[in-house]
Amino acid sequence: MHAEDLPATAAPAPEPGRRTLDWGAALALQAAVSAGLGVATTAIWAVTGGGSFWPMWVWLGLALPLAVQFGVRRAMLSPAGRQRGLAVHAALFAVLTTLLLLLWLMSGMGSFWPIWPLTAFSIALLVHAWVVTQMLPPERERELADRVDVLTRTRRGALDVQAAELRRIERDLHDGAQARLVALSMQLGRAEERLADQPEVADLVRRARGEASAAIAELRDLARGIAPPVLADRGLAAAVEALARRSPMPVTVVATIDRRPPPVLETAAYFVVAEALTNVAKHGAGARARVAMALDDERLVVEVTDDGPGGADPGGGGLGGLRGRVAALDGTLTVTSPTGAGTTIRAELPCGP
Amino acid sequence: MRAVIAEDQALLREGIVALLREHDVDVVAQAEDGAGLLRIVSGHKPDVAIVDVRLPPTFSDEGVRAAIEVRARYPEVAVLILSQYVEPVYTAELLSSGEGGIGYLLKERVGDVPAFLDAVRRVADGGTALDREVVAELVHARRGADATLDALSAREREVLELMAEGRTNAGIARAMVVTPGAVEKHISSIFGKLALPASDDDHRRVLAVLAYLRATGG
Repeated sequence: MHAEDLPATAAPAPEPGRRTLDWGAALALQAAVSAGLGVATTAIWAVTGGGSFWPMWVWLGLALPLAVQFGVRRAMLSPAGRQRGLAVHAALFAVLTTLLLLLWLMSGMGSFWPIWPLTAFSIALLVHAWVVTQMLPPERERELADRVDVLTRTRRGALDVQAAELRRIERDLHDGAQARLVALSMQLGRAEERLADQPEVADLVRRARGEASAAIAELRDLARGIAPPVLADRGLAAAVEALARRSPMPVTVVATIDRRPPPVLETAAYFVVAEALTNVAKHGAGARARVAMALDDERLVVEVTDDGPGGADPGGGGLGGLRGRVAALDGTLTVTSPTGAGTTIRAELPCGP
Repeated sequence: MRAVIAEDQALLREGIVALLREHDVDVVAQAEDGAGLLRIVSGHKPDVAIVDVRLPPTFSDEGVRAAIEVRARYPEVAVLILSQYVEPVYTAELLSSGEGGIGYLLKERVGDVPAFLDAVRRVADGGTALDREVVAELVHARRGADATLDALSAREREVLELMAEGRTNAGIARAMVVTPGAVEKHISSIFGKLALPASDDDHRRVLAVLAYLRATGG
């Protein structure tokens, strides 16, 4: 009911607030007590006749815990993790440096001995800072990297599932609706035969059979749009060979693919080649095309080059759709199409583990 | 005529068997996968094997592979492939697996009973029966790439497609509603333009055309 409101409005705000308040009050109390003690000792010094101003050592002793507490509390406000460790270190460094300089000032400013401890402290702080910023990525960065890893994996998983689902649907269409329509068409055919003496009824049955055939053809086109059978059956190289053979222009295919990449990559690569070849056929009268495909451990690269007129619109309808399809797989699609110098469409699809 | 059939979908298999038996085709055995097909072909030596492209266990191109195997081992057995899609790769492989006695039809063609039976008989007799969509795809793909195919008139292209389906001159004449004489004229014109040697033998004629279409496929 109100469960959604509660944490957002009521719960988180007071907690840190109360803690800050407690700390502030404690610090104020401590500061007041310290100041009181300081004033008291100074008064004692004045009453006892002055002389060398010894209460300054009392002031120093009282200020030190206050400074340490203040610096550390401030440092604790920075984000948790290594960053906070470095902030605490820096705060202590500042307090210690001030302390040493005050000691030196108060002890009569002889030879500048604090140089040695300060050098050592500085080196320690610099090393710490370098380790935090250089050697190890900050916590937040690592969190983001982890998140990106998870998202990449799950998105890829989702696409793999989608590809498998589409192929399952295609199989179900084949075994289910299409098969039944074929059976229906056959029964209608047998009925039509027996109606030879009633031509009008036979004609009705023939028309019904025509409708069944049209439905079968539509399902066939639908299934082919998901993935052509030869792609699912024989893989990318064979399917692209088939595309090349069906193209109206001469197409050379060079494939270095020795295993089946995941279906989702095969399908994306196939449609890149199909679209590219369709474009060549449409715009590159008399052009020749070359398809190069290579698969290694890290990526699947397909490249379609033609010697047509060039000047293709890289964002144009078909290419824009392909770009989205390739980008969803963390791949890149580049279109190089200077006017008068042919077109190269190249898709790189990562296929690492 | 003696036939065997390899089809995993029972509904369809039984329907086709019933249809064939009604028309005096003796269906001597049935199988559900590629291995089963080879077994019944070797056991029964039928005139024709009717085979679905997709068969278990992979449901991919099992039927094509099994059919090519049948053609290699038993060249006298004709093969008629039934498929739910036109796949030129598979057609080309089947056509190059031997001379004649081969067919590739879309499954829904079984609904046109006389045409289907005609195709079964033609293939069993060593002829060819290619689905008109297969032929259209082959002819279409070669247009534009080949000036000589462009030289054919629309009418001649139609004749070429019907011829590649495996139809006789009389069949082509019926389909185009013209006289057989007109068909003969078109055919000699096509042969002239494609520079193919004329022949009286129907299936050789078809194969010559297909060989030409494939050869120019580059």
